[in-house]
Amino acid sequence: MLGKRLLLFLFILISLSLMTYQSNRTPFLPLKSLNSALNVFYDIKVSVKEFISAPFRRMFLREEENRRLKTELSQLLKEQQVWREAFRENQKLREVLALKEKEQHYVTAARVVARGTDQWSHTLILDKGLTDGIKKDMVAITDKGLVGKISDVSPSYAYLLLLTDINFSAAVRLQENRTEGVLSGTGFRACQLKYIPYEEELKLGAAVVTSGLDSIFPGGIPLGYISKINKKESGLFQYIEVIPYVDNTKIEVVAIIRRA
Amino acid sequence: MKYLLWAVVTFLTFGIQGSLSFFDITPNFTVILACYAGIREGEAKGLFIGSLIGLIEDSLAGSLLGPNLLSKGLVGYLAGFLYSKFFVWTPVLGIVTIMVLTMADSFAVYMSRSIFDTMPSGIGAAAFIIVMQSLFNAPLGIFLKKKSE
Repeated sequence: MLGKRLLLFLFILISLSLMTYQSNRTPFLPLKSLNSALNVFYDIKVSVKEFISAPFRRMFLREEENRRLKTELSQLLKEQQVWREAFRENQKLREVLALKEKEQHYVTAARVVARGTDQWSHTLILDKGLTDGIKKDMVAITDKGLVGKISDVSPSYAYLLLLTDINFSAAVRLQENRTEGVLSGTGFRACQLKYIPYEEELKLGAAVVTSGLDSIFPGGIPLGYISKINKKESGLFQYIEVIPYVDNTKIEVVAIIRRA
Repeated sequence: MKYLLWAVVTFLTFGIQGSLSFFDITPNFTVILACYAGIREGEAKGLFIGSLIGLIEDSLAGSLLGPNLLSKGLVGYLAGFLYSKFFVWTPVLGIVTIMVLTMADSFAVYMSRSIFDTMPSGIGAAAFIIVMQSLFNAPLGIFLKKKSE
């Protein structure tokens, strides 16, 4: 026990003496060279740490980049959508502008704001009305052809009866052989071309245009093409179906023109 | 073989200690080695191994040879003395002892440096560092006990 205490006493004494000796001199560091060994250990540790953490870091970076790119893509898609919409609108307006220049009876251009509330009729609601010069029985066209006629009008809105509506009729003629008839809506996509005699030889795909003889539609407006001819049914006339050039589901802007 | 193992463990402890930092405070794990030496080997060997660890630590620090030599040697001796003479080991007592010994070690180093060299930091900062180092070491008190217990 005494030996241990003596040892402790000597140890403390030596330590304090050593520190006192060094206090005004250069530190005495016998094992300083161990630092280089420790530094090698640190190097190895850093290498191992880098080896382990690098794949995870790359993964996180990719994850972050992926998230950023997705956000950017989403933003760009939205912008692209806006630009595409603007481009299409511009195209439509150009078409209407071309019509305005071409048509002598041009009144105004109107945008389709809604479909008619009656599920059984084929009508569209336009954003212009009496105040813009639109009147009943005026004609609506696009660059592709006839759309219909104004069936009703209010100061700010107009109701457009499409040529597929069962109440629609127009005097027409076949563009090539000049045979005249009447085109009526059927309530479906195809219209019926009436009063074409049996002896007339018609071709599928033949163009049908307005004749102007009904005093409502100006002559020469394209309407559609013959999609079906049936001569077998009894009666004086052939059964002919016409598909309109204008797709009712894609109408956005129409040009309104006066009666002939 | 035993001393080679001690050398490897000591070297690794220095490596780990130099690599870690909590709240900008480097932990004092080498004091655990000194404690362990004292607890397992008794006061004399605890003093010897502790002072050797302190000698290495001072040499690596490159400032003054003595502060860690003295403190670690004392801790090695005290650990052996306390664990053999004063109390029966329990986990809580183990934690408290390690905390106190860590504080004693850090305080001894701070005082030695302040007296024989330059003050390493302000008193407030030193107190914070000492307390934090003792808290880091506290959980290890559960594992440090004599062979027989």
